[in-house]
Amino acid sequence: MKNLTVQFEGVSKKYPHFSLDNIDLELPTGSIMGFIGANGAGKSTTIRILMGLVHQDSGTVNVLGHSMPAKQAAAKLEIGFVSEDMRLYAAATVGWHMKFIRSIYPRWDQPYAEKLLQRFDLKAQQKVKGLSHGQRVKAALLLALARRPRLLVLDEPTTGLDPIARHEVLGELMAVLADEDRTILFSSHNTQDVEQMSDVITFIDRGKIINSDDKEIFLDRWRRLRLVLPQDTALPLLPGVIDVGGSNRLPVLTTNRFEPAMVSICQDLGVTVNAVDTMTLEEIFVANVQCRRETQTV
Amino acid sequence: MHSDLVISQSDGRPMYLQIVEQIKQRVAVGDWAGGQEIPSIRQLAVALCVSVITVKRAYLELEREGVIVTQHGKGSMVASNPALTPRFYEEELAEHVERAARLGDLLGLSPQELGSRVSDTAARLIGDRTKEIV
Amino acid sequence: MNYSMIKVLIVKDWYLQRWMVLASLLGGLIALGIVCVGGNAAFMLGLVLLITALIAVGAQLAIATMVNERKEQTLPFVMSLPISYREYTTAKLLGTLLIFMLPWLTLVMGVVALFAVPHGVPHGLLPFTAIMATEILVGTCFIVSIALVTESQGWTVAAIMVGNVGLNVVGYFVAHITGIAKGMNGSTVSWSPAATALLLSEFTAIALLLTLTFFLQSRKRDFL
Repeated sequence: MKNLTVQFEGVSKKYPHFSLDNIDLELPTGSIMGFIGANGAGKSTTIRILMGLVHQDSGTVNVLGHSMPAKQAAAKLEIGFVSEDMRLYAAATVGWHMKFIRSIYPRWDQPYAEKLLQRFDLKAQQKVKGLSHGQRVKAALLLALARRPRLLVLDEPTTGLDPIARHEVLGELMAVLADEDRTILFSSHNTQDVEQMSDVITFIDRGKIINSDDKEIFLDRWRRLRLVLPQDTALPLLPGVIDVGGSNRLPVLTTNRFEPAMVSICQDLGVTVNAVDTMTLEEIFVANVQCRRETQTV
Repeated sequence: MHSDLVISQSDGRPMYLQIVEQIKQRVAVGDWAGGQEIPSIRQLAVALCVSVITVKRAYLELEREGVIVTQHGKGSMVASNPALTPRFYEEELAEHVERAARLGDLLGLSPQELGSRVSDTAARLIGDRTKEIV
Repeated sequence: MNYSMIKVLIVKDWYLQRWMVLASLLGGLIALGIVCVGGNAAFMLGLVLLITALIAVGAQLAIATMVNERKEQTLPFVMSLPISYREYTTAKLLGTLLIFMLPWLTLVMGVVALFAVPHGVPHGLLPFTAIMATEILVGTCFIVSIALVTESQGWTVAAIMVGNVGLNVVGYFVAHITGIAKGMNGSTVSWSPAATALLLSEFTAIALLLTLTFFLQSRKRDFL
């Protein structure tokens, strides 16, 4: 019986031009989930429902054992939330924000906060309105991290950060997971970061979860096979082939159920296997979404 | 100790394999001695900025091959008698031979031509080493 | 209800608006000073400035503490704190009114002090003054409620204009109510039943506005 920090069951939300459809989501405690989707796919809406900031039309949401949105105050005491559209108070200083959050969250770790100030190259006396975009993001992350939350919810935490800042931020995020009772959910367009750091990956497209699994399973099961078909030979029927590209004699099969046995099946049929390419998470996501969208329009 | 592992993002191989390889290299070379304690899965994941599940997979693979040993509640350590060196190099050789065979095939070399190239190179290596000693 | 969180939020809004509030308080005190100069012209000028200062601080508070949370995108930051939406509404509604009452109460006390000055303002004006001062409070309550429920600059500005016009209209009517007009120029205070009724209805209006605002806020399902 897994210990779940977040559980969505049958969650739906309807807007005039967009709807979230029957979302099921499970985030085990101690793990980090990467949430990937195109713009407007429903990532932010899902995250807001998780935070209790948007009331779902149907379905149940449980965060840290609290039912949302009813018990959101209790849940949010244990959550650090940073979203891309969130701003701090421009007229106040970074230091004022730190004191403010410190007065609310009992687990605020002042030495850690000061270490982060140094790490992120911020000064307590700086006014928020004088900060660059990257500094603002780092300040918001500092406020979320220093309260030592059990759950970190991050909507595009590294968007707009320069590579150095991104590296620093990701390092601090991973450090959170040294404690196996703490969990992270982050949505990102940076598929490389998601691929490297996530334990679980969820794809969302047009309001529906289209895939959610352990990262290693994704990376293991998706392959591109580059074949050479001899004349008058049909394409071998392989499981999980969702796309056939290339030319007639040099097809490229994309499969999401790869097994090494497939290679010998092809060779037995006289088909040469030139290469079995692994796919990056980005390639997997794009292939997954395109295949799904094509089957929907059919 | 654990931060001397370096993961390359542009390496085409899966990340867990990179970890497996680098740990095996350290054991083979003697940097990580038999019986020595190694970082826990979580500690290594944080140090490398890599997901826990990937490090877990690497450790499972290493345990399967007898390179490391995990004791529940006590953490992981290098196996006291990894007998790693010959097996590790054996696998690497097999990989390289496979690759050489494929390249030879692409270049249109016959197996004999490929074979003589390999033995010529090997002989030259031994010859160079003998010259160094002398 | 988490009263300590509500207090934290109110203190936060005070901290962010403190200079603006103090500046308008200063403006109001200057207006009172002008009244003290004596003479009808100074009286009228001072009065206009006083009312302007009060209306301005009320309007600015409504916009700064409510509309701007959405405009400056600080709403997600506030809503990520451990509060329910009911606590947010309470903090904003009551907090803004409490902050407003700082200059309002101070200046009203200042006006009452002017009454106490011998040969100063005719005491007959006291009921009218009390009614109009409370009317400003009602108007501000209206503006704050609209700002909170709509979170829109457009609607809030409209509410400010309605409040302004309303203040003038009410002022005209009240000044012509027989019960009040009669005693206005007198040198003694005469509380007529009409005056009492008006004051009561103003307090009732405030209570109704607050209740309605809470109700409308509780019906909202999307806070971002």
